[in-house]
Amino acid sequence: MTLVKEEIYQAFEDVVGKRNISRDAAILESYRVIPCQSSDHRGPYLQKTPVPQMVIIPETTEEVQAIVRLCNKYGIQFKASTTFWSVAGYIGGDYAVQLDMRRMKNFEIDSKNQIAVIEPYVIAAALQAEAMKVGLNINIPGVGCSSSVVASTSSWVGFGPTSISMGCASENLLGAEWVLPNGEILRTGSLGAGSGWFCGEGPGPSTRGILRGKQGTAGSFGICTRMAVRLHPWPGPTFIPTRGTVPAYKADLPDNFKSYTLCFPTWDAYADGVNRLHQNDILYLGHRQFTMFGRDIKTAMIMILNDPDKQLADIPALCEDPYLKEQNEKMKIDIQVIIAGETKRDTEYKEKALNKILELSGGWKSELMMDKDLTDYVLLYLIRLGHKNLNFVMCGGYEGNFGLSPNVFVSSSVMEEASALKKKWEDEHDYIAAVGGDSDMGSICTMGGGGTTGWEFFTHFDSHEKESVEGTADFFNATQDWMTEKKLGTDMGKWNQSARRPDGYFYTQEEQDEMFSKLPQPLVTAYQYKVREAFNPNDLSGSYYRTLSTKKLEEISRSEELK
Amino acid sequence: MSLEDFRPMMDRCSNCLGCKWVPFDKVKSMRFGENCPSVCYYNFNTYSARGRFRLGQIILDKDAEYSDEVTKVVHSCMACGACDVACKVARYNLEPLDHNIALKADAVKRGKILPEQQVMIQALKDEKTMIPGAVKANRGDWAKGLVLKNLFKEKAEVAFFPGCKYSYDKKLQGVARSAVQLLLDAGVDVGTLGDAEACCAGRAHQMGFIDEFDERADANIKAFKIAGVKTIVTPCSDCYHTFKRLYAMRGLDIEVLHIVEYIDRLISEGKIKFTKSVPMTVTYHDPCHLGRQGEQYIPWEGKEKKILNQIHTWDPKRPRYNGAYGIYDAPRNILNAIPGITLVEMERIREYSWCCGAGGGCSETYPEFSAWTAGERITEANATGAEALVTACPWCESNFANAVDENGKKIQVFDIIELVRRAL
Repeated sequence: MTLVKEEIYQAFEDVVGKRNISRDAAILESYRVIPCQSSDHRGPYLQKTPVPQMVIIPETTEEVQAIVRLCNKYGIQFKASTTFWSVAGYIGGDYAVQLDMRRMKNFEIDSKNQIAVIEPYVIAAALQAEAMKVGLNINIPGVGCSSSVVASTSSWVGFGPTSISMGCASENLLGAEWVLPNGEILRTGSLGAGSGWFCGEGPGPSTRGILRGKQGTAGSFGICTRMAVRLHPWPGPTFIPTRGTVPAYKADLPDNFKSYTLCFPTWDAYADGVNRLHQNDILYLGHRQFTMFGRDIKTAMIMILNDPDKQLADIPALCEDPYLKEQNEKMKIDIQVIIAGETKRDTEYKEKALNKILELSGGWKSELMMDKDLTDYVLLYLIRLGHKNLNFVMCGGYEGNFGLSPNVFVSSSVMEEASALKKKWEDEHDYIAAVGGDSDMGSICTMGGGGTTGWEFFTHFDSHEKESVEGTADFFNATQDWMTEKKLGTDMGKWNQSARRPDGYFYTQEEQDEMFSKLPQPLVTAYQYKVREAFNPNDLSGSYYRTLSTKKLEEISRSEELK
Repeated sequence: MSLEDFRPMMDRCSNCLGCKWVPFDKVKSMRFGENCPSVCYYNFNTYSARGRFRLGQIILDKDAEYSDEVTKVVHSCMACGACDVACKVARYNLEPLDHNIALKADAVKRGKILPEQQVMIQALKDEKTMIPGAVKANRGDWAKGLVLKNLFKEKAEVAFFPGCKYSYDKKLQGVARSAVQLLLDAGVDVGTLGDAEACCAGRAHQMGFIDEFDERADANIKAFKIAGVKTIVTPCSDCYHTFKRLYAMRGLDIEVLHIVEYIDRLISEGKIKFTKSVPMTVTYHDPCHLGRQGEQYIPWEGKEKKILNQIHTWDPKRPRYNGAYGIYDAPRNILNAIPGITLVEMERIREYSWCCGAGGGCSETYPEFSAWTAGERITEANATGAEALVTACPWCESNFANAVDENGKKIQVFDIIELVRRAL
């Protein structure tokens, strides 16, 4: 590994000051992550991402720009991250610097125009709290409120429980201040025309597709230093009043907020109900949440999380409780929804419409989840989305897989089969937690009126145990085989496997050429190569942007001609 | 537990970095949403509980040299436990605070200690106090003029234990006198350990000096037994936590009460009656060791047991310390009972309170960092519009007394005992 020269380090230090840069070996080591434990489950057990040359913590856009320019001057890769939740935010090469954006935490709220302008370290929980002070709210994506709003808006799909009423990240992105990989600053949308932050498309350059695309991580060149996001009406108090003993906090919201768990007898009925919910615009929030723990232990976990004196050791006894058993069975195919009425009449209308939809689709409201404490727990859980770390509560490790995101009628038709495959692995091996197969979580939004309710199955594994980690990777291979057989595309657990090698490094261009030349439609990545050439000419902005070089494309074309 | 014993937790920490924030359900603003003084001040992730779990791996795997920077990271944890509460909202099997202290203990074993810590530990050995410059002979100065039973000579219902800070800090000695006078006036049978009183050594534990702590704890437990102590009342939150949790782990089996619990009890029994109004808007700061770390120790022995293939539990069920049952209501009951006082709350309260900055010995080892931490709390207190900041710990009071907010503005600082005395 080549170490940066003293004068280069000094140049970076001059930008941010001695206090905000480090090359201490332990500090650098602490900015590595084990991909197997962080949304890229594939590499060898305990294999980490590379060691950065230095960690830099800038405070302003100007400092970020100066850092990027120095990176270009000295040919050093760079990667910025905020909350370091995902492996996508870590460097992928030896000659690279890691930017930690935690000092950039300013924000402004324009309540009249329902816009928030934020810097990278403003997390969703904080922005939501600030927005609620002026009667507004934000869409918090599924990753939860611990996430940076800039990061999830610029670099992830960004749908979540409230996406049914507020849209996804790509729809909420307005103007952005974007330090391009060459160090230039591009102000997108209306901001680029000097017209403020209100629009992502224009007047001014609309580069939404390049900045983030649909999925997000496939874009993310450079560093977004400020961004505007759309705010949405919040028909509640200026903050979320809470009660309860840690960790069983609950919301004390007024009567215009109602939370229900809707249950259905079959997946067909579920698809019908979810589709009707989507079509009728009555929900503030719709999300299949608690099955993430697993179909067999769902009610047990809900009880544990709502009692400060209970813990995971109580699962077996709670699973034997006759009432919980009965309720668990009734909640087998379920989804959590929240209604938020703007007026009394609006609340009554939405409630009535919800009841009618249940009648038409053959569904019912879970009796267990009508308990006042539980409705208030669900309100807080899903509106703030502050318990995402529960993903890891059972085993220390989790990874989402399957990713059944076509329209709801397609995904629901294969849910039982997918669940059965997972259950088979739970029964035949002990790598993953045995929770009853179905551990799906997802929101009602996007394609097909609920296309992402079959989003991801939570696979719980022990990140400390080698056999569990490696066995989980084997399970993902099996689910990919099933996805391929069903023509359902790439398993979610493998989405980023064409961006980063098992050893944690980014793929070289040669390796990408080898991979992407075999795609059914390689021209997509060839086009992206040209975009990258324009935006990221020195290929320093370590990104997940998949590219097929022009040279390789010409080779393919020649061989096609020869055929 | 040794550092190696924490390896499973290091591997199972999910990198969510929730440990840097108050529980997300409780975030009320961006300005006061974060909870870890160490990472807020030093900024590198390494200073967070997550970073410390990674650091533990790095040290065990010898992935980096034990540099001065590492020593600073390790010892700049205030052991306030805010990360612990935030983590345990969603995690049932991680112990960030215990791990942070284990990291310190490992550093101490390796000789990676700070000069200021050496001075404090030497004072503990020589003078039975961790306040540098204080001498044992002056320990009883705080009680001058009071007639108190010596528990080695006479029996008493309650042993009053002022702790080092109240005993030696001339600005605070009056508070200790007021506290004990309150008890006497309410008819409580009170005694002290007299000359035999010595430092609880809780701060040695917070700094990772476990052997020194053990030695002092055992000596104090022995003294309590000889003196026949059944109930101990202390106005110091550090001593309170040390006796209630740490000494209990070493076999101390007596009732431990903080003075606020006792005063709250006396008020509800009608033994303390307020006669004067104290017209003042105040806000209350929850001391870390009275609040989230003030939970009762419950003996447990057991081992890890996996259920349903990979779900990690403990057999038998292991007690959970997550701040749920800390002492939060007693001080608020007292303030609400004092005529004229209006209590307004800061954003970070109860189990997710922000530290005063004195924890982990940082007021001595990293005074600038400590003052900044206190200043952050003053800023938060000033944002409530309160005229005064009230607390129930001498370390907090002392650290706040000289701190200023981000605009250079001070606030009046009171020990809750002072307000109670004013209202009598």
